[in-house]
Amino acid sequence: MRPLRLGRHGQLSAALGAVLICGCTGLIGSGGDGSADDAVAKELCVVDTPIRRMTRFEYNNTVRDLLGDDTNPADVLPPEEEVAGFNNQAGALSTSDLLIEQYANVAETVSARAITNMGALMNGCDPATQGNDACALSFIERWGQRAYRRPLEQEEIDRLKGVFDWAVADPDLGTFEDGIQILIEVVLQSPNFLYRPEFGSDTPIEGDVVPFTSWEMATKLSYMLWNTMPDDQLFEAAANDALLTREQVGAQAVRMLADDRARDTIRNFHKQWLLLTQLENVTKDTSIYPAFDASLRPLWEQEIQTFIERVILEGDGSLETLLTGNYSFMNEELASFYGDDVVEPVTGSEFRQVQLDPTRRAGFLTSAALMATHANLNQSSPVFRGKFVREQLMCNTLPLPPNDLVIEPPELDPNKTTKEQFEEIGADPACASCHSLMNPIGFIFEHYDGVGQWRDQQNGKDIDAVGEVVQTDDIDGTYDGAIELAQALAASTQVQECVSSQWFRFAYNRSVTQLDSCSIEQINERFAASNFNVRELLVELTQTNAFLYRRAVVAEQGSAQ
Amino acid sequence: MLRGTLFGGTVAIGLPMLDAMLPARSSAQAGVAPKRIVFWFTANGTRQDVWSPPASMDLSGHPMHASLAPFSQKLLFLDGVDQDVAYDSIGDGHQTGMACLLTNAEILPGSLFCEGSCDGPTPQYVGWGGGQSVDQYLADEIANDIVTKFRSLEFGVQVRSSTVWSRMSYTGPDQPVPHREDPNQNFNDLFGDLDTDPFELALIRKRRRSVLDAVMVDHEAFNRSLGYEDKQTLDKHLQSIRDLEARLDVAGSIGEACQEPTLTLPGSSFQQNDQYPVTGRAQMDMLVMALACDMTRVASIQWSRSVSNVQHNWVPLRLGEGHHDLSHYDDGNADSQADLLEINKWYSEQFAYMLGLMDGIQEGENTLLDNSVVVWVNELGKGNSHTRRDIPFMLAGSAQGYFNTGRHIDFGGEPHGKLLVSLTHAMDKPVSTFGLPQYSQGPLSGLT
Repeated sequence: MRPLRLGRHGQLSAALGAVLICGCTGLIGSGGDGSADDAVAKELCVVDTPIRRMTRFEYNNTVRDLLGDDTNPADVLPPEEEVAGFNNQAGALSTSDLLIEQYANVAETVSARAITNMGALMNGCDPATQGNDACALSFIERWGQRAYRRPLEQEEIDRLKGVFDWAVADPDLGTFEDGIQILIEVVLQSPNFLYRPEFGSDTPIEGDVVPFTSWEMATKLSYMLWNTMPDDQLFEAAANDALLTREQVGAQAVRMLADDRARDTIRNFHKQWLLLTQLENVTKDTSIYPAFDASLRPLWEQEIQTFIERVILEGDGSLETLLTGNYSFMNEELASFYGDDVVEPVTGSEFRQVQLDPTRRAGFLTSAALMATHANLNQSSPVFRGKFVREQLMCNTLPLPPNDLVIEPPELDPNKTTKEQFEEIGADPACASCHSLMNPIGFIFEHYDGVGQWRDQQNGKDIDAVGEVVQTDDIDGTYDGAIELAQALAASTQVQECVSSQWFRFAYNRSVTQLDSCSIEQINERFAASNFNVRELLVELTQTNAFLYRRAVVAEQGSAQ
Repeated sequence: MLRGTLFGGTVAIGLPMLDAMLPARSSAQAGVAPKRIVFWFTANGTRQDVWSPPASMDLSGHPMHASLAPFSQKLLFLDGVDQDVAYDSIGDGHQTGMACLLTNAEILPGSLFCEGSCDGPTPQYVGWGGGQSVDQYLADEIANDIVTKFRSLEFGVQVRSSTVWSRMSYTGPDQPVPHREDPNQNFNDLFGDLDTDPFELALIRKRRRSVLDAVMVDHEAFNRSLGYEDKQTLDKHLQSIRDLEARLDVAGSIGEACQEPTLTLPGSSFQQNDQYPVTGRAQMDMLVMALACDMTRVASIQWSRSVSNVQHNWVPLRLGEGHHDLSHYDDGNADSQADLLEINKWYSEQFAYMLGLMDGIQEGENTLLDNSVVVWVNELGKGNSHTRRDIPFMLAGSAQGYFNTGRHIDFGGEPHGKLLVSLTHAMDKPVSTFGLPQYSQGPLSGLT
């Protein structure tokens, strides 16, 4: 068996600036040919991202904001490629015949729905009095600018007007509404809508490094912080060319985080980072966990997401509160599931803030959403819980079991605790090298049974929630219970830097590369200076050179084949 | 009548309308039904110790394949066929088992997916599969002869994610093909046009063509402005639009083989674990209908993905764990062995169900099954060892007599690339090697 070494995804060495986080391919400008321009880009820490295609989530949000269509029409598209923990990684999103076929289907249904409310589309222009042409042209310029997130070029306006003209001249179509519907259908399949092209402005700041245009910056900000298209204020700022400086961009970011649309992004990130996507498949043996009911799953998710969102957007925003806060949000049904852990009465189906027993619950870490997901059908799982902490919170990469290793988990033994059983496997030398990294962390969560409820005893024995954490940067030691561990995690540089690197990947739609060292250093410094305020981290992610600049595009000449 | 339940409502499509449908362009000659190929994937290996048939090929008492007994003379069990390429390739057992399965090509280097054994200061990452898969090769070749409504159809049953663990079809290196996973959407995409008035349908198609034309003009201008790598992505996007437009007017060719199916669709819950059997059944129903209507000649149905952890709660399980978890117990564990047998027996029953549908459709003297070859594939031989040797390959249908069926052959360690070559021969698009030449020197001997 190979000796075990731990991967350190988020670890940063101050001397080196950054280690390679997830490797990188094709993300770095035009390749390192050692030109003067490469040196400039490297010096400025400017790293380009492949062209971004909207995810299904972003598409749904965008047509909601563009057309008032809240039917989530993009749900039928094929799933995004998942890379480095997220489904929005620009270099990984590929196209396929099926995707393009479904884009056409979705555009057809969305455009048909859109023209059922012509009043909203026409913005006061009445074709009966002002004429078809005038209203079509004003629609193309005004709505087209929102759909392409920049003013249309005259050639584009002419082309779209030609589409409209064809439709109204066609004897089988013929109405003004037909023309508008076809226009929308075309625009929704345009690469200008589906992708986010970024060319930058014409004037380099140095070498071939150029700032983004204000229109591009409006789009970058809105998709990063809202996962949707820009609002009127961003468009206005773009039209005034007022999204050029670091300060202008930062001020918009602060404003945007106070908007409800930021909630979508916060939830989207945590759903992926905290693996809440797995919740829908959680099921339990109800002979062992009679409290379990499938109807609890959405309540668990609502609880953890509400808590996180409120802490970040309305609370102190700190990582410490996320990990250790002794309050949560629940309704009567959920509160009765948690029992004595909720120290105040809760009635009714509405969620509200409740105080939790601080000796039993700490932040999102001990929530039922996580405890029940990272457990087995009929018992808790120290392995899964340890793996979750290692991989998601500490950015370690744990090896899978060796290819040819036969694994034999313990069967339920009514005379032993789960910890005792897993200690036996952990002692097996074939397993110990890996499981010593996971199981003891999992033991610390043993007060939470397989469904996430507090227990003092198992099989007539007192719970022993002591575990030793080893091979970390800064939290090695013995902990008794998850409250102690949560406090250590909140104070750990490894965890703090892991959180910032997760957000980096999600927000920038790419992995961290070696050339990102100065950006990473800057982000981590400011994150620390804010006492690890996630809201500040998000603002800071808009302040790096990597966010503000790119290298000039060298267009690949030749017509598309 | 086509009949189905869509989103809880009943869908009925009048057959008289079908007469007015446009036939497939250069449709098959009357009386000569086309050959079809279907790949059928299940995960995590099998119980190799019970998988093989008895010498008599009488499957009626077989612990795993009893439900296949009616088709035993139309089956070929292949023992001793190995994925040699998987042992050359980078990637973990499941990754290589999946990405090399239909490509016989090594996985590309890349930074997308963490290899199972990645650890230490230089983590091992891999990219996507490194070659065109044999189903996509055949789809390309067949597309030169005939334009069917779909170039190929890739159906999935709760595949869900898009990673190197979940894709077996590739249009080329680094080009994974996603699945159609929503049976409700599938019903619309495949059969939605059938309940539309032919005159209206012609108008809809004219309109769709004009829309796509406009989109393509936009694309051409857009793509020209991009740098090299982005342009590659967008050119592929544009090519898919061109392909979509070329197929707009093509319907299935309608004959007596286009039978009336009865569908039960799972509604919006098709991704929930307990809907797995219903979703799979609907997908099989529609896949067979699409073949009968000649909407495509090349199809696949992938049950979950490599490392599938579906909980098969509808069969009697002792341990009640997910499939992948169960597959990791030691061979000596009687409970997990019993569960794995039940799971694989269930898949065999599903296989029998689909073969039954295909064999029930008469196309001249042959059945649809006789005119096809259905290839049951798996990324592993056995789960706990992750061996990619002795993969449980099974063929059903003779591809119009190309394969000599009703037999069990032990090849004793032939590379699976030769099986892929055999399939190209069976489909009359023969190649001498497929993927890595050293593992695909001609077809497997003795199959014909």
